Amino acid sequence: MIISTGIEELDKMIDGGLRTSFCYAIKGSAGSGKTVLSLFMTVGALKANIPVLFISTEVDIEKLMTYGQSFNMDLESYVNKGLLHFEKMSLKPLGTNLVQTDQFNLSAIIARTKDKMESIKAKMVIFDSISAFFADFKYEKTARSNFMDFIREITNEDAVLVLTAESQPTEEYSTIEEFLVDGVIKIRTELKNNQIIKRISIPKLRSAKPINFENRFIINRDGISILRSEQPPTSHIKEESSGIEKLDKLLGGGIPSGSVVLVEVDGETNYFPLFLTTLCYHLENDKGVIIHSNVHMYSSRIVEDFNKADFNIEPFLNKGNIVFIDKYNRSVTAVEAREMSQLMTTDDMISVTVELMEAFQKSKQKVVIYGDLTDDANILNESEFLRYFALQSFNIKEKRSIGYSFINFNAISREMLARLRTTADIIIRFSREDYTTYIECMKSSAGATFLPKVVRYKDKMPLIEIVD
Amino acid sequence: MSLKILFFTSPTCSWCPYLESILRQIIKGVDHLELEVIDVTKDITKAGEYEIVAIPTIVLPNNQRIIGSADEGFIREQMDFFLTLGS
Repeated sequence: MIISTGIEELDKMIDGGLRTSFCYAIKGSAGSGKTVLSLFMTVGALKANIPVLFISTEVDIEKLMTYGQSFNMDLESYVNKGLLHFEKMSLKPLGTNLVQTDQFNLSAIIARTKDKMESIKAKMVIFDSISAFFADFKYEKTARSNFMDFIREITNEDAVLVLTAESQPTEEYSTIEEFLVDGVIKIRTELKNNQIIKRISIPKLRSAKPINFENRFIINRDGISILRSEQPPTSHIKEESSGIEKLDKLLGGGIPSGSVVLVEVDGETNYFPLFLTTLCYHLENDKGVIIHSNVHMYSSRIVEDFNKADFNIEPFLNKGNIVFIDKYNRSVTAVEAREMSQLMTTDDMISVTVELMEAFQKSKQKVVIYGDLTDDANILNESEFLRYFALQSFNIKEKRSIGYSFINFNAISREMLARLRTTADIIIRFSREDYTTYIECMKSSAGATFLPKVVRYKDKMPLIEIVD
Repeated sequence: MSLKILFFTSPTCSWCPYLESILRQIIKGVDHLELEVIDVTKDITKAGEYEIVAIPTIVLPNNQRIIGSADEGFIREQMDFFLTLGS
């Protein structure tokens, strides 16, 4: 029997829903929403007329009821209908003193739970939380090993057992709960730009593939919504192909026009195959291409590389569909280059680019701009560089063009990278690890990010292939 | 008036028969003390009422609880503590 959690996206993540005779653990730090999630699961089952036994070890029943009310849950009506039963279980009831030894078992909670399950015919048991439960035990190890019997006995009753457990923020290794249970639903909170962001993942799932990708989720009065960014979103924006079919698919259709694509590369990865493949596509589709050349991306190298791949770029050059703007004179020394860059201001660069964009648009051609920002970041001072990038991005957006900006993320400061990322609409990371190159989308204005995928290089066009 | 000592046990508890015999021996020598043995698998209401979680649990009238089995010395020490310092 599969029981829905009441949260559609979570059901998808755990292979359809909660399975009877399975034990699941909801792990998360304090205040991450474990109890709320377990209450929503409770209501999800109750809505399908599946009776639920809710065992609370830390929060009083009345408090849980009011807690539920604040999320629009009418738990009391289910209790009255006999579909829901709350049971408080803790080793140390209020006002008692304990003396403990390590020779005990947990047969009392097993008997009590089984009895309550039978009385309401419960198919789902929620145990919130085992961390608070174990905290009272002086001999926690004995308690934990005896708890295995509890898990076994309850799941043997053809019911789902959901445990909540507290995880420490610094926890590096899996705790015992993760070994024992069949599925782990992990909740993590992080503070980002003064905003609390909650993320959910399934690091362990027996019988199906776990989802280590952490999807964002929001808890509000009406329920829990999980934002699955792996799903291609529906978008009404016109999308342009990137020239790599698989990449388009992963991005949910392509790159929306008016996007600034930031391609982050580490210094060791050759991004040229990616660059040339997209460039080739755009040229073949009669688009106007502007290349801000620099020490990495310059005309003779591009022509040479195209020749190597047996692609004749000459017709496009002759047609004038590809224009190089030389930012710096490459025959000069670094010091001179710095001086020259002061002569040719970034504003000049931008105005030339805008003029070219307008010229292309007059002949009804879409414009694509390529540039390697690494040198700009090193030559220009920080504020000037960021201003340059922002203005450039603004022009790209306004003219509904597409801009590809490559940057070596190891060569610039973290702060700088963070600012570039804020401006960019799509962030693609192209990096290498152990001789394997990976492509990954870390941000997408349309919401379609994807996990690292292996990239294979080829001799002929298209020069790269994304492998699953 | 006699005071009741509750002893919660279950059929799966291997230490319980031994602990029960110790308890009976101790109580034998004390006036006004009575032992009530409760099998949690049979009397679940009582287990719920006293919120029993682990077995064996001894509930003394002063809200003191002994969880887990131990040797006679340990149990005697705990009982003496309760009997001398009072309920």
